[in-house]
Amino acid sequence: MSVEARSLPMPEPALESLATLDLFALGRQASSARDGQLGRRGTFVRARQLLPSGGWRGPRDAAESTVDEADLAAVGGLPALRAAGIDLLVAPADSPHARAAAEAGLRLLLRVPFGVGEDDRERLHRLAAIDQASFGVWGVMPAPTGEPYGLDTLRFFALCRLALPRVPHLLADVGALGPRLAQMAFGFGADELFAPIVAERALRIGANAHNPALTRKEAATLIRGAGLVPCERFAEGTIEEVSA
Amino acid sequence: MSSFPEIRDKVRAAETLSFEDGVALYQHPNLMELGALANEVRERLHGDRTYFNRNLHINATNVCEASCRFCSFARLQPGDPAAYTMTLEEAWGKLRARVAAADPITEIHIVNGLHPGLSFDYYTDLLAGLKRIQPSIHLKAFTAVEIFYFAKKFGMSIEAVLQALRAAGLDSLPGGGAEIFAPRVRKKICDDKSDADEWLEVHRVAHRMGLRSNCTMLYGHIETAEERVDHMLRLRALQDETGGFQTFIPLAFHPDNNALMKLPGPTGVEDLRTYAVARLLLNNIPHLKAYWIMLGIKTAQTALWFGADDLDGTVQEERIYHMAGAATPQVMHPTEIIRLIQNAGRTPVERDTLYNVVAEGAALIPDKPFRRDVRRSLEVVS
Repeated sequence: MSVEARSLPMPEPALESLATLDLFALGRQASSARDGQLGRRGTFVRARQLLPSGGWRGPRDAAESTVDEADLAAVGGLPALRAAGIDLLVAPADSPHARAAAEAGLRLLLRVPFGVGEDDRERLHRLAAIDQASFGVWGVMPAPTGEPYGLDTLRFFALCRLALPRVPHLLADVGALGPRLAQMAFGFGADELFAPIVAERALRIGANAHNPALTRKEAATLIRGAGLVPCERFAEGTIEEVSA
Repeated sequence: MSSFPEIRDKVRAAETLSFEDGVALYQHPNLMELGALANEVRERLHGDRTYFNRNLHINATNVCEASCRFCSFARLQPGDPAAYTMTLEEAWGKLRARVAAADPITEIHIVNGLHPGLSFDYYTDLLAGLKRIQPSIHLKAFTAVEIFYFAKKFGMSIEAVLQALRAAGLDSLPGGGAEIFAPRVRKKICDDKSDADEWLEVHRVAHRMGLRSNCTMLYGHIETAEERVDHMLRLRALQDETGGFQTFIPLAFHPDNNALMKLPGPTGVEDLRTYAVARLLLNNIPHLKAYWIMLGIKTAQTALWFGADDLDGTVQEERIYHMAGAATPQVMHPTEIIRLIQNAGRTPVERDTLYNVVAEGAALIPDKPFRRDVRRSLEVVS
C-alpha cells in the first residue's frame, strides 16, 4: 500500500469539512465516534517485541507479541513470524509488506507520520488512502516527525478517528508524545496506550528521564483520569476492566 | 451540587462562581465541555491575543532555611553539596551578558532561597546594580515568602522592607511561595515558612503601595480538589479587595529529587482541568499563565485553549524546576514562542511585565525562516 497523496482521490466533502472544525468540536466528534465503536473504554496491553537479535524485549508472559517492520528481514521475514508467535506487525503507513502481513493473518498497526508542514487537507488524503485499503488495518498510531506541537497532535488524533471509520483502534505512543499528551489524546479519539507495561515504576530522572514505561497502575490512572474505563487487553482479544 | 448547565449560565452571565461550583467543575467528567467554557471566558477577555515576554531568571542562591518537602532546589546549609550563592558581580554579570548580546529583555525575575547569612544590603545592592546596568529593566523580584522572611530576620515591617527594596529598584513581585493555602497541606509540605495569611498580607501591603504582583498555586501533590478551590477563592477575595494581581499561574508539581518523589505528579488532563477551572473561578484576575517551564511545551500550548492567555517568556537559566526534574529547555527563543502561539491558532503579543504591548503584528514576524532543527534541538517532555 502507498499513501502518496498525488495518486489518491480527493476526500469526500464531508470529510474535508473536518478541517474547519475547532478543537472542541473535533474532540467531541472523535470521542463520540470512538465511544460508538468501542464504548467508553481505554486499553493497554502487556506486550513483548521480537528484536533483530532473535531475543525479546518485554515480559515473558506478555499477552501480545509484536515485531517492527524495520526488523523484519533480520528475524526471517514474514514466513517466520507466525512460527515465532507474533500477533502484530508494527509498520509505517506506506509499508510494502502490509498486504502480505494481513493476508498471513497478522494484525497490522500502522504508524502515520505527521508534522512535516502538511495541512489538514493533505492529512485527510493520506488517511483516506489507509481507510480505502483492501486489507484490514487493526490500528493506527500517529507518529510525529520531530518534537510535536500539542494542539497539532490532538487535532491529528481526532482526524484519524473520524477519517478512519474502518480502522478500529487509535493508539497513543507514550514514547513519542510523553504521558501527558498521550493521556490528552483519549479526549480526541484514542482508545489505547502504546507503552511498555512494567512491574515497577521507573523514576524518570537522569538518563531515565524519557523512559516511556508505565506500570499497570500508572496506565490505568492515565486512562481513568481521561474519563474512560481502564481495561487491560489480553491474548485472544479478551479485555478486563482494571479496578481502582 | 451545581450542575454544569447552571454553572455555564452563571459564567455566561458574568456571575461569580461559588466554592461548590468550583468543586463541581473539578468533578465534571467532560473535559471538552469544561475547556470550551473556559475558552469562552478567555476569548471574551483577550480574544486570540496570547502574551509572552523576553525575560531572564536569576536565582542568586539556593541556600534556604526552609525545608519544603516538594522542593528540589534548596540546600539547607551554605556548605552542602550543590549549594551556591552568587556574588553580586556574578548576578550582575547575567544581565551584562544579555546586554552585550543585544538581547532586548524587558524583565528580570529574581527568586531565591531564604539564606540565613546574607545581609539585607545584598538584596538592595543586587537590585540597584541591575538597574545601573540597564535602567529600563523591570525587576520582578522576591516572593512573598522572601519578603516576610526579610521582615522577620531584619526586624522590619513588611512595608519597610518593600519600601527599601523599591527604592533600590524593585518594580513588582512574583507570585511564588503560595503553594496551597490549606493548613492541612501546608503543615505537611512547607510547615516552616510563611503561612497563607502571611503570604496574602505581603501582597496586600504591596498592592496598597501600588506594586503589582502575580499569584500561584502548586498543584498535583497531596492536595484535594476542595483545597485547590479554597486556594483560588482566597486569591480572588484579596483581588476583590486590592485589584493588584495581574496573573494567576498554576504550577504543576514535579516529583523528582525531592521528599515527595514517590508521588506521580499531575497528569496532562489534570493540568488542563486546573487551567480551565482557574479561568472560570478567577473572574477578577485578568491573565492566566501557562508556565511552559513546568508544564512542558506541548501541554503549555494546549492550555492556550483551556483558559490560558500567556506563555511566560524566554526565561533563560531557570534552576528551581529543572532541579525538580523539569526537562524543558533552559531558554526558548522568541521565534519559537511566536511559532508555538501561531500554531495554536492564536495571535502572539510581546508584552512587558505590566502587560503593556512591546510588539505585535508585523513587528513580531520573525526575520528568519523557522527551521525544524531549531525545535528538534529543544529537549522537551510533556
